Amino acid sequence: MSPLLIGALVFATTLLVLASGLPIAFGLGAVALGFMIIFDGWGSVHFLPETIFSGLDDFTLVSLPMFVIMGAAVASSRAGSDLYEALARLLHKVPGSLVISNIGACALFSALTGSSPATCAAIGKMGIPEMRKRGYDADLATGAIAAGGTLGILIPPSVTMILYGIASETSIGRLFIAGILPGLLLTTLFMAWALFLSWKRGTVLIDKDRVYSLKEKVELLPRLLPFIAVVVGVVYALYGGIATPSEAAGVGAMLCLVMVAVIYRVWRPRDMWHILRDGLRESGMLLLIIGTSILFGYMMSSLQVTQSVAETIGALQVNRWVVLAAINLMLLAAGCFLPPAAIILMTTPILMPVITAAGFDPIWFGVVLTINMELGLITPPVGLNLFVINGISPDIRLTTILKGAFPFMMCMVLAILILCVFPEIATWLPTKVMGK
Amino acid sequence: MLNREQELALPLWVQVVYAASRALGVFSACLIVLAVIVVCQMVFVRAVLGESSIWQTEFTTFAILAATFLGAPFILLTRGHVGVDILPMLVAGNKRRALYFAGSAVALAFCGLFFYASLSWWYETWSTGHTTSSMWRARLWIPHLSVPVGLGLLCVQYMTEIWLVWTRREEPYGMTPGVHL
Repeated sequence: MSPLLIGALVFATTLLVLASGLPIAFGLGAVALGFMIIFDGWGSVHFLPETIFSGLDDFTLVSLPMFVIMGAAVASSRAGSDLYEALARLLHKVPGSLVISNIGACALFSALTGSSPATCAAIGKMGIPEMRKRGYDADLATGAIAAGGTLGILIPPSVTMILYGIASETSIGRLFIAGILPGLLLTTLFMAWALFLSWKRGTVLIDKDRVYSLKEKVELLPRLLPFIAVVVGVVYALYGGIATPSEAAGVGAMLCLVMVAVIYRVWRPRDMWHILRDGLRESGMLLLIIGTSILFGYMMSSLQVTQSVAETIGALQVNRWVVLAAINLMLLAAGCFLPPAAIILMTTPILMPVITAAGFDPIWFGVVLTINMELGLITPPVGLNLFVINGISPDIRLTTILKGAFPFMMCMVLAILILCVFPEIATWLPTKVMGK
Repeated sequence: MLNREQELALPLWVQVVYAASRALGVFSACLIVLAVIVVCQMVFVRAVLGESSIWQTEFTTFAILAATFLGAPFILLTRGHVGVDILPMLVAGNKRRALYFAGSAVALAFCGLFFYASLSWWYETWSTGHTTSSMWRARLWIPHLSVPVGLGLLCVQYMTEIWLVWTRREEPYGMTPGVHL
């Protein structure tokens, strides 16, 4: 059987197995092991522990649970509400201020937690009822939060980028810094759309005449600045080469745990257990997916599938932008059904030779892929952020949330197009700070 | 997921399995905390005292690895392992149950084979006394032990989950009956 035919069989089997609802980690492992047994015999079973354990035996991966704990600590506190309230007071007089404050709060909170659902939940809980109370339409209020929450995987530190860095063997520090300007671009596009829609609909704030004193405007900042300082410190330590991602994340996690205890009084054993439980659940789930995707990659490579796919695409002699468009469409389709972690870990080893052969920068592609994954978080049927918003505001129909999120999806597509025309938006800063 | 009252009404062996998964979950969470502390200590030793780190890198990596495998049964118990619920949401009733049993059988077969292979793999490192090649020379059987222990309990936890659905004490995938796309 030709490697390409085996690849098609692997693809179909993986889709079928994963769609049945079993945990992704075990599904990927079962498909990989099944094909290894079929083509290499029963002896393949004995490769399992060594392949998965040695694949996970990597100090870089330590950064993953550390960043997850850092995010879980911040998400467990009232930092999200404070961030939202502080921005709402500062921008009160700006037209469409509340929705802009929400998007801004999402961008900052996502930098603190690195998690899209956590950002949606933390900012949405306060922001959506407040926006509706003050006269904003339900679709704009929910769409802005659903889309704003996706910024969590683009603005550093980002768990998704760590996974891409591991799978593509590119520098995580470079990826983080590459996400900053595109993150700001996307935030600006989101804000511009929200501003335009508020103006077009003539949204009038119920409390537009309310005046906040200077004291009211700045009183929340002392609680928030230490968290922002930690994120800036972590990112600076990475760029400056002072610490590895795992070291920076470890110190960041410790500081965040101490700060939520001191500033927000989240110190009781029950509170701490909730943070650690959430951290264990998310990082354990991700690390098991990484482990079994390493096995999956090993199977694909040992059956010559990866090499054959790369050679075949390379031999097609089509324009590289056509290849990129096809890859993006495929990723977009996969994003509608699978979580970002599974897509990145399964596809990156196959796509990387194709991307580099076509002359694209792997760091730039990492940013484009991350925005593509963001799209998957707000597209049905499994857009995680849509369901988080639906959980916060059960009285708003899913179709209304989708209608509100759609223009923001278009902003993401526009951001990808802008990045294709001006790749320097992603590549300039890492080159400037870290050199070639 | 079952609430505390429903859990207490379950047979004793199920409660024992749940307790064991929770105990390993707490132990895994402690390992992550320990890893955070050791990373901070390593940064302090290197950046402030100007000394080199010897054991910290390997220790934290192994602690996180052990937490991953030992915490797997707890993550399964608390439905933390994400899956794609498209087909289960498209069907209902007995079809959803059949899909659940088929998917769980595939997952259990993988976990079972992984557990089986990890026994001889661990025994080899234990009997030969293999160590890491670093200056610390950590005995590998200790971190390797987390794989058979974690996967052994994961298989038992999986069988318990399947039994609960089989005896209709729980709904497949934890979904509300009658709700589908």
